[in-house]
Amino acid sequence: MTSPVCQIRPITIGNNFLRRKPHQLPHKSFWSSSKAAAAIANTFPSPSSTDSLPPSSLLPSSDKRLRSPWRILHDRPNSPSKRIKTYPPPPSSPKLHPFPLADHTAAHIAELDPNGTRTRLFDRNNPDVPNPGDILLATFKTGDPFAGVCLSIRRQGVDTAILLRNRLLMTGVEMWVKIYSPNVRGIEVVKRAKKKARRARLYYMRKPKHDKGSVEGEVEEYLRRRRLIRSGAAMGVKGEKMTGKRGR
Amino acid sequence: MLNCIDNSGATLVECVANLRMKRHGKVGDRIIVVVQKSRSMGDSGPGGTSAAAANKVRRGDIRHAIIVRCAKKVQRKDGMVVRFDDNACALIGKNGEPLGTRINGVVGAELRAKQQSKILSLASMHV
Repeated sequence: MTSPVCQIRPITIGNNFLRRKPHQLPHKSFWSSSKAAAAIANTFPSPSSTDSLPPSSLLPSSDKRLRSPWRILHDRPNSPSKRIKTYPPPPSSPKLHPFPLADHTAAHIAELDPNGTRTRLFDRNNPDVPNPGDILLATFKTGDPFAGVCLSIRRQGVDTAILLRNRLLMTGVEMWVKIYSPNVRGIEVVKRAKKKARRARLYYMRKPKHDKGSVEGEVEEYLRRRRLIRSGAAMGVKGEKMTGKRGR
Repeated sequence: MLNCIDNSGATLVECVANLRMKRHGKVGDRIIVVVQKSRSMGDSGPGGTSAAAANKVRRGDIRHAIIVRCAKKVQRKDGMVVRFDDNACALIGKNGEPLGTRINGVVGAELRAKQQSKILSLASMHV
C-alpha cells in the first residue's frame, strides 16, 4: 500500500523545485562552496544555472535523498516553450479487417486447399455436389480408405466434414471425415442415391429398418470401373490429364 | 454390458470396474468383467481346439478385459471422429495376454496407442 505514495513523492518534490527560480535553489550554493564542485566545473567548461549539475555517478553517497529531484531538473529544463511531440494513432484494425473471422477462415482454407478442389466439390452451387444418401469413398495418406453412406455434411468453414456410415464385419462404423484435413487424399462419389433425400441429416439410417448395410459391393464395382476407365484413357487420349483423384 | 468378440467362450460380459480410472471406459482400457453368457460346448463348432478354447471361461467368472469398440464418439489426433454401433471387449489374462486366439470383428485403432498391439494383430480388421 505504501508504494504509490513512494512513486508520487519525487514528482511533487520535483514540481516544487520547478516552481522555484534558479537562484533559490539550495543546492547551488552547496555545490559552489564545495571543492568537488569546483573540480567538476573545470571539467565542464560551461557551468550555467541548472545544466551544470554533475552526473549522478559523481554525487557523494551521502546525498542519495537529493538525487531524484536533481535528475528531474536535469531531464526537464525550465523552458515552457517546449512542444510535446504528438503521434498519429495506430491504424484502426476494425477498419482494416471489417470481417476478421471470414478473412481468417478464407486464409486458412487457402492454405489447406491451394487448388480449391475440395472447396469446389462441396460447394452448394456445384451441380455434382455430393448429397446425404450418396455413397462416398475417402482415401487417406495414412491408413486404409473408408467408404460409406453419407449421413450428413457439416459445412462450417475449415471444419467442414462428412459423416460416413458403413457396416464392417457385422458392426456399424461411423466416421466423421474433415474434408480439409491434410491427411485426406481425396473424396470420391461412388454411387449417387436413386432419389435425393428429403432430409439433410439421415440419422434414421442408423436404425436397422433403414440401415443400408455394407457398401463393399458398390465400392468394389466402382473401383473396377474406375480402373477400366483410367487404363482406357491412358491408352486412348494421350496427354489429356485425368481430373485427378476426385472422380465425378 | 459388452459383447465379447474373441473365441474365449464368453459372448456377453458385464463391466464391473474400470482399471484406468473410475470413469467411463474408452477403447484400449482395461476393465474387470463378469461373464454373463458363454457359449456352450456344443455351439463352439467343430474342432477340438475351439471346444477347448470355449472351456476357458464360464458364466459367473470374473476376468480382465480390454475394450476394443465403444459406441461413444472418439476424436483422433487428425480430427477424424469414429464411433461404433456397439461396445465390445476381448478377455485377457492377468498377465495381459489375450485369452482367445482369434478376434472376430472390427476393433478400434486406438489400441495401438495403448500398447495393445497383440489384440490389434489378432483382429481381422481395425478402423
